[in-house]
Amino acid sequence: MNIEEALKTENAYYAGEFDAAVVGAGHAGCEAAHACAKLGLNTVLFTLHLDSIANLPCNPSIGGTAKGQLVREIDALGGIMGKVADSCCIQMRMLNRSKGPAVYSPRAQMDRNSYSHAMKCLLEKTDKLLIRQAHITELLTDDGRVCGVMTESHAVYRASKVVICSGTYMESRTIRGEVIALTGPDGLSRSVGLSASLAEAGVPLLRFKTGTPVRVNGRTVDFEKLTRQDGEHDIPPFSYDNEMRGGKVPEEQVPCWSVWTTDETREVIEANMDRSPLYSGVITGIGPRYCPSIEDKFMRFADKNRHQIFVEPLGRDTEEMYLQGFSTSLPEEVQIKMVHSLPGLEHAHVQRSAYAIEYDLVDPLSVRPTLESKVIEGLYTAGQVNGSSGYEEAAGQGIIAGINAALSFLGRKPLILDRSQAYIGVLIDDLVTKGTQEPYRMMTSRAEYRLFLRQDNCDLRLTPIGHEIGLVDDERYKLFEEKYKKIDEEKERLAATYIAPTDELAELLESVGSVRPPSSVSLAELIRRPQVSYELLATVDKGRKPLPDDVIFAVQTDIKYEGYLKLEKDKIAKFAELENKKLPRDIDYEAIGGLRLEAGQKLNKMRPENVGQASRISGVSPADIQVLLVYLELKKRENRDGRQ
Amino acid sequence: MDMTVSDSRPFCACSTPPGTSGIAMIRVSGEGAGKILDRCIRIIRTSSDAERISDMPGYTSAYAEFYDPSDKSSIDKVIITRYTAPHSYTGSEMADISCHGGTAVKQEILSVLISLGMRYAEPGEFTKTAFTAGKLDINEAEAVMSVINAESEAALKAANSQLNGRLSKRLAEAEDLLYRAMALIEMIVEFPEHDDTPENDSEVISLTTEARDIVAGLRDSYGKGRILTESLRIALCGLPNSGKSSLLNALAGYDRAIVTDIPGTTRDTLELTTQIKGIPVTLIDTAGIRRTGDKVEAIGVERARQACADSDLTIYLAACDEDADEITAQMKELFENNDNSKVTLVFSKSDLGINPGGDKIRQAAQDLNITAIAEVSSEETIRDEAGLAQLKDLITDYYEKAGGSSSSDIIVLAKRHSDLLAAAAEQLDMAISTATDGLGVDIMSSVIRAALDNIGKITGKTVSAELADTIFAGFCIGK
Repeated sequence: MNIEEALKTENAYYAGEFDAAVVGAGHAGCEAAHACAKLGLNTVLFTLHLDSIANLPCNPSIGGTAKGQLVREIDALGGIMGKVADSCCIQMRMLNRSKGPAVYSPRAQMDRNSYSHAMKCLLEKTDKLLIRQAHITELLTDDGRVCGVMTESHAVYRASKVVICSGTYMESRTIRGEVIALTGPDGLSRSVGLSASLAEAGVPLLRFKTGTPVRVNGRTVDFEKLTRQDGEHDIPPFSYDNEMRGGKVPEEQVPCWSVWTTDETREVIEANMDRSPLYSGVITGIGPRYCPSIEDKFMRFADKNRHQIFVEPLGRDTEEMYLQGFSTSLPEEVQIKMVHSLPGLEHAHVQRSAYAIEYDLVDPLSVRPTLESKVIEGLYTAGQVNGSSGYEEAAGQGIIAGINAALSFLGRKPLILDRSQAYIGVLIDDLVTKGTQEPYRMMTSRAEYRLFLRQDNCDLRLTPIGHEIGLVDDERYKLFEEKYKKIDEEKERLAATYIAPTDELAELLESVGSVRPPSSVSLAELIRRPQVSYELLATVDKGRKPLPDDVIFAVQTDIKYEGYLKLEKDKIAKFAELENKKLPRDIDYEAIGGLRLEAGQKLNKMRPENVGQASRISGVSPADIQVLLVYLELKKRENRDGRQ
Repeated sequence: MDMTVSDSRPFCACSTPPGTSGIAMIRVSGEGAGKILDRCIRIIRTSSDAERISDMPGYTSAYAEFYDPSDKSSIDKVIITRYTAPHSYTGSEMADISCHGGTAVKQEILSVLISLGMRYAEPGEFTKTAFTAGKLDINEAEAVMSVINAESEAALKAANSQLNGRLSKRLAEAEDLLYRAMALIEMIVEFPEHDDTPENDSEVISLTTEARDIVAGLRDSYGKGRILTESLRIALCGLPNSGKSSLLNALAGYDRAIVTDIPGTTRDTLELTTQIKGIPVTLIDTAGIRRTGDKVEAIGVERARQACADSDLTIYLAACDEDADEITAQMKELFENNDNSKVTLVFSKSDLGINPGGDKIRQAAQDLNITAIAEVSSEETIRDEAGLAQLKDLITDYYEKAGGSSSSDIIVLAKRHSDLLAAAAEQLDMAISTATDGLGVDIMSSVIRAALDNIGKITGKTVSAELADTIFAGFCIGK
């Protein structure tokens, strides 16, 4: 349907023109709309529920392993998730502290209602951005190109860029045992018609499922029987901007709790498995392996007698608690029995039921690395609609989709982050190159270069890019430059400052299990020793000036891991070789002798941007890649010889 | 679209080494090769009723006459084996022409083929074509290289086993161990709050250590692999007429060097490749050097020193009839300040008597840390002597020890493999020490990943841009 056809429908009216329209105000939609508006596009953001903007319908937390890195990357590019999360944080922890800086992962508990409210206020105050509560039922296209959207009430909006961030709302249904409700998450109304409109335009769709656990009233929980888990304070906030301005995580934090399932839990589940929609066949969507329901855990890991459950507050003032790890789609009455089988929760009052949710999504293999559709020009998709799971994964795609929609509108070069630059790059490359069979969760192990993709250097990796694009303002960029100038200067000073192997030094080193150096050594050499920290050397390092924590952390990490980082940089250089070999768009892969049939077909279908991306397509073997390389080389020689 | 669109003419090359030989083989490949051969080959006898080469079924041979179509003159009687696409080494139409091995015959046949529209093959083009046609994986292609270069039976055996994928299989075991280690690390890192997560990294370390041992063993086996492909080098030195040539001939098993009793006959270094107990050996006969003020002799000393340094083993001969002072002086010149553990002192011409200064020579050897000492005669009987057997044992011992700790029967033949394995082994050592140093598991997994990348470059699981070219450039023309 195009604009003219839309305007001919019953009661239709023309509602105006925007440069960009963003459909859905979840974590992806908020970042996308904010990026578009900041880059100068007149932007409209549609949401089904104004009071549920940036909703956290599952975990009341942001960050965690790999996800924490994503939040900081978004912030470094000039996104908003980190700042909003900092302002609503009620507990913060740094996971994996003992496992090395590459996998340090910040995670924060959020005050759920504050988060949604803060995001709404921020967007309302953003220039060039308008928010509109409306139900988009139709994508308008003209000759394979996006031209606008139409609402349920037949308001017709013209826009040459449309970013769809529909989350889990398209044609969704929620399931508790035998009870099926045609709603979105949290009992909110769902999106109807949009996915049919996409399908009609030729966009391939998939159907996934995910789920969420029950919430209980904390006043009915006996916390004496639970293990308490407090937050930490010596952690930088998510946002680099806040960190560089001396921002800290909140002094007063709220505890989380943990508890183990019991034999009774298992018995309740086993006795009711026949009522599980997953096992009875009611649910057909594909669920995530990484976030299985509790009944799934008991069924698939039959040798494990118990599972750990975390009890997390939904806010500072509310008594509502979230049971992480207790997701289920069993019937309500079974859910209550299951909760009561947990020690300390024998009398817990369930405020909200757990449910499974099924939804329509776009097959990410039909999406380009810019997040523009291969099928419809000007259409971008981001977030769970592309097959991911998680708020952070959604926001990471949202900012890229928003940036690329804007850059394309402005006639500028698109932004594609590669696998060596950012977790966001890994995430998008995985989705659009390999596709996914289940809701895709970011994990640090998916990144080949994670020593370099750390949570502490996202700004080094991405802030210059954000500044060049125009999302990071000059003032913040200046702070960034000053920070790295201090880091470089301090590293130089430590490398050039030698100290004698005095008794004082030896005593200090021996106190941490290290040994006296044979002769004068530089401070950098000492810091490179596994047991020695920058802080330890304070008493012997006479020329030291006070420096901010982030600078010290970066200096210490760079020095300690220099050799390993170099190894990783060499790998990145190798990786770049294949990434830089562009594949012309007009190659007929099936006509290349030597490519296996399957590989030829896959490559013709996927049309990768470069040899690196081609090498990651399933069904394309390393030998096929060698053939492609030989082919490109022959073509190059042919062209060169042809010119002579 | 053909892969060789740049020049789609069939190509040809002589597949046997240059120079004169009994029989030579010329290989042609490419669509239309048969039609071209029809114009210069007349079938005399073949198993099918084909009258032309292009009508012959694949995998059949013919006895035929190769002639020059310009004047119909006969060039040679040949045996031709025909292959039809895609059932050939290169995947396209192909033929092997076995002709007599004179240089002139080969040249004439090739120039006829060129005149009829073929072109010379580029280096490695047959294998490259086979590879791009999906006929070979990278490992196989490299093993083919080794087959070409392998000079001895033992090398052929090792290369064949590699063709059959035994190296890949062994490496797959190491990869499997490392993937298990990585998976454990990921559990530790990814699910820090998960109750399944291992308490510590001891299992990670033991898996990595096991993999390191496999990789290091294979790396060490290249010590043998190098000898099999390049041969074990033994320098023979001593004063003129000290019996070097006699010993060389005795070791080689036939009269290769001219043996005379005129001192200084072997003026330049002379190399001879032979096999001793199945091990390819290159014997280097250095010029016998008299101590004079002669400038040429000074160069000779330097050359001998260099030959010793470049060799796996060095044999210094001390004849019974030479002046002990001159011998010890030369030994000093050649061996002073060197690691002489690979040097053997041989008292030669033992049938002619005992060197009166023998004790002096032994003392000099001891001062130079030369501990291996043998004794051989000058006569024909040398071949049956214990001294010679002792030297041969020295060679086999050296070969066995060249494999280092490697107990495996898989021998790595390619230098490239050995370099990659060495890098991987070093990285795995690094990974293990990061764990014992208490650095984070993130570093460990990064280093293990780097090692896996290096192993993957052998098994073909990692793709790197320069690989194909490096491999193909190593091929000799015609294979």
